[in-house]
Amino acid sequence: MLHWQVIPYREKVAWLSIAAMLATFGPYFTLVATGYFPVTPMPDLRQLAGYAVTAAVQVTILIVGHIVLRRSNPLDAKVAADERDIAIKHRSVTTAYYVLITGMILVGVVMPFSSNGWHIVNSALFMIVLAELVQYSVMVIGYRRQAG
Amino acid sequence: MKGSLSNNIRLLRFVQSEMTQAELGQRVGVTRQTIAAIEAGKYSPSLEVAFRIAGEFKLPLEQVFQWQE
Repeated sequence: MLHWQVIPYREKVAWLSIAAMLATFGPYFTLVATGYFPVTPMPDLRQLAGYAVTAAVQVTILIVGHIVLRRSNPLDAKVAADERDIAIKHRSVTTAYYVLITGMILVGVVMPFSSNGWHIVNSALFMIVLAELVQYSVMVIGYRRQAG
Repeated sequence: MKGSLSNNIRLLRFVQSEMTQAELGQRVGVTRQTIAAIEAGKYSPSLEVAFRIAGEFKLPLEQVFQWQE
C-alpha cells in the first residue's frame, strides 16, 4: 500500500510524469491507432493540431502538478538530490536509453522500407514516450524496492 | 561472494535523545527516506555517507555498520 505522505518527493514527481503522459499520449495514440487522423500528405494540419494539443495539455498537467507538489511538500521540494536519488536516476536513464536507441533504430532504419510520413513520425514519437515511461517507471520501482 | 550490511542506526538515534530520521538526514546530507532505507538494510550508503553517519554518533565506522558474510 502506497502512503502518499511518506514517499520521496522525487518519486511523487515520477508518478506525476507517468500520469501526465498516460493522460495525454494515451488518448493521442489511441486516436492514431483507430484511424481518427486521416492519412494525408505531410504537413497534415489536423494531425499537427492533435499533437500540439496533446503536448500543451501534458505541459499544463506537469506545471500544475509541480506547483501542487511543491506547495504540499515545501521542505522536501527544497532538498537537493542525494546519492540514492542520483543512483536511481542513473539506473532509470540507462534503462530508458536502451529502449530509445532500439526504437530509433527500428523507426529510422527499418520503417523507411515499409512506411512513410506520419506513420514514421508517430512511431518515433511513440518510442520517445515509451522511453520516458520506462525511465519514470524504473525510477518508481527503484524507490519502492528501497522503501524503508 | 554473498554478504550483507547491517547497522545500529535506529538504536543509536534512540540513544542520542531520539534523533529523528529527518534530523540525521539533514546533518549528513541525505533525505529522510534514504536514512529509512539504510536503517531497513535496503540501501547501502557510500563510504562517505557511512563515515558521516558514524561521525554524527561520534563512533568508529565498525560500531555503526557491520558486514556479515
